[in-house]
Amino acid sequence: MNTLSFFSQHSGEILQGTLEHIWLVASTMALAVAIGVPLGIVVARHPWLSKPILGSANMAETIPSLALLGFLLPAPWLGDRADRVAITALTLYALLPIIRNTAAGITGVDPAVREAARGMGMTPRQILFQVELPLSLSTVLAGIRVATVLTIGVATIAAAVGAGGLGEFIFRGLAMVNNRLILAGAIPAAALALLADFILSVLERRLRPAR
Amino acid sequence: MTNPSAGAPEAIIEFRDAGYRLADGQELLRGLNLTVRRSETLVLLGRSGAGKTTAMKLINRLHEPTAGQVLIEGRSTLDWDPIALRRHIGYVIQETGLFPHYTVEQNISLVPRLENWPPGRIRARAQELLALVGLDAAQFLPRYPHELSGGQRQRVGVARALAADPPILLMDEPFGALDPLTRVEIRREFLALQQRLQKTIVIVTHDTSEALLLGTRIGLMESGELKGLYAPKDFLRSGEPIATAYAQQIRDLEQFERGL
Amino acid sequence: MKSSHGRSRQQTAFAVCAAVLVLLVSLAGCVEHRADTIVIGSKNFPEQALLGEILAQHIEARTHLRVERRFYLAGSYICQQAMLAGRIDAYVEYTGTALTAILKDPIESDPAGVFAKVQSEYKQRFHFDVLPSLGFNNTFAIVIRGEDARNLHISKLSEAAPYARNWRAGFGYEFMERPDGYPGLARVYGLQFASTPRILDLGLLYRALLEKQVDLVAGNSTDGLIAARDLAILADDKHYFPPYEAVPIVREDTFARHPEVRGAIAELAGRISDAEMQKMNYAVAGEDRDTAEVAREFLHAQGLE
Repeated sequence: MNTLSFFSQHSGEILQGTLEHIWLVASTMALAVAIGVPLGIVVARHPWLSKPILGSANMAETIPSLALLGFLLPAPWLGDRADRVAITALTLYALLPIIRNTAAGITGVDPAVREAARGMGMTPRQILFQVELPLSLSTVLAGIRVATVLTIGVATIAAAVGAGGLGEFIFRGLAMVNNRLILAGAIPAAALALLADFILSVLERRLRPAR
Repeated sequence: MTNPSAGAPEAIIEFRDAGYRLADGQELLRGLNLTVRRSETLVLLGRSGAGKTTAMKLINRLHEPTAGQVLIEGRSTLDWDPIALRRHIGYVIQETGLFPHYTVEQNISLVPRLENWPPGRIRARAQELLALVGLDAAQFLPRYPHELSGGQRQRVGVARALAADPPILLMDEPFGALDPLTRVEIRREFLALQQRLQKTIVIVTHDTSEALLLGTRIGLMESGELKGLYAPKDFLRSGEPIATAYAQQIRDLEQFERGL
Repeated sequence: MKSSHGRSRQQTAFAVCAAVLVLLVSLAGCVEHRADTIVIGSKNFPEQALLGEILAQHIEARTHLRVERRFYLAGSYICQQAMLAGRIDAYVEYTGTALTAILKDPIESDPAGVFAKVQSEYKQRFHFDVLPSLGFNNTFAIVIRGEDARNLHISKLSEAAPYARNWRAGFGYEFMERPDGYPGLARVYGLQFASTPRILDLGLLYRALLEKQVDLVAGNSTDGLIAARDLAILADDKHYFPPYEAVPIVREDTFARHPEVRGAIAELAGRISDAEMQKMNYAVAGEDRDTAEVAREFLHAQGLE
């Protein structure tokens, strides 16, 4: 049986694995953006916080993914469900690019624009939402794109702790010494990453303000 | 935004022994005593670092005085709500700082929108202002700043500053980034605008000809202090080095013309 | 108020993104199995794949359901997580492992007690049904050569003490270290060997035994080689080793959706003896035969199709 017919025979399972994977990634990205963008804004506003905040995010990033998953397993409420462990670890991983890019995007706003905004009587909040965020959208999105592709990759490792997704095919294939099973996980995962990267790049370009 | 004028009604802006010192101790402004009267155009003239921009930023509270006080319409800037104060004052800077992601219309109508004007009024005002600064509304309202020339951008900047019809206008080297031809043109237009609107205006510049052309009074600033206050016609005869140098320039030019 | 091009372009882009994200999350979140399919899982060694295959084939034969196989999951924790998340509907676990590794309770040695505890706690905590044993107990097995068993007329561990002094033992590293391994065994049965037991790679234990490099090893009671070669297990008559009975575990709501599955699995209870399991393990691991085929043969031999 060649790879193609294997894929078509097991298309249901592969689709299900892909959807599981997407759910892990989507939940992670939702959390990471909800936490990371505000933190990025905080870092942009208070540069003295950049060291502790970016430093912590960097530290989380440096821990090897499997080790991070392993650390979280014994945690009381988290360790009970593998997808909680996975989403927590994945979110910690995704934070650094998002925080960093949000901060960079906001501090990168033309100082003349910021001064004009302030001088005309916009409140700090108005400046944030009407000037700084819209102008840094493209940069923030670049960070989200990097984080998404990263998450799709690390999510395959999450199967090692039982979170499901496309990584499970890979691990099962390894245990059974079945190359087609491995590919059943690897190919969709790679395709997902490429697709996400492509779509988000297009979006990034669209949202870049013309200079 | 209403504010009962206390004290002298003619003194719209008043510096009382105002000073500004940085956190590291560097003194940018020292002992400034100055009054700007209603409808006058005060030009702060001087080289870079003279303290002119610093003084101007004390007016709309972008800086707060570390010594003395600054009174706007009789009230200390520290007693004003900073947001209300700034919306009461038009602000034009050299780089314009137009929002790149807003059209000309959206840029101009910024303060009216913040003040929740009805949409119809906002639109009408934007068209009116573009006409005021000499740009065709239909053509320019939908354009983005990056599609405009330097001169056009500067005009939009002025229109933006005037949008909510503030009684006070601050302009920091507003025409400095323009080429000489455009500069001449735009200055002339501005003079006409001044006559019409009768606003209280403070202009910061290092350009003597601009000061002479646009100002009702010239305040000469050097090293953080106000060296002198002159009517334009008295300025050239004042004996100040900067005035003398300028006068020499004019003589050289006349000589050149005669030689041709 | 009219938005201009750029503004509304941004807004549309946002709206599209948000919509796609919501769609993806909800779509993935409510992934349901196809109505007539159930998923059987297994851990990652041949015995588990065999048991999973037996379950799967029998359910396919007895019901109209399609069975998806999700075998070679990396271990008990992975299988447990897959069950909790509904990614698999059933798999075969060992009662002792369920008790200690999943429920985190202390090990006991009474098989009936262990089964009852596992069954009630699994029901209460996870809403999983634990079904009666498939018939064998994959626990530690103390194995000696068949000729020695016959010559010395011994079949039980309690009979081994007098002869242990002349024997050399070979154990895997884990068996040496575990409190419920060698130390406890020696104590309970009063075993003293000629010298300290040799630590051997698990794969080499039986070969060392057959080549007479050692005289007694600790393997698993369902190891294929035990049936294939002339080897004998000394019975654990004092019930030192904890029970590891093979029990099917099924999600409660799987039975609710497909009650016919319960009947199908029930027919398998008690059908697989230790010896039967050894034979099947040997066929797959030792003779390299196809798991599905071996499973089918077994069911056919049992008259179960």
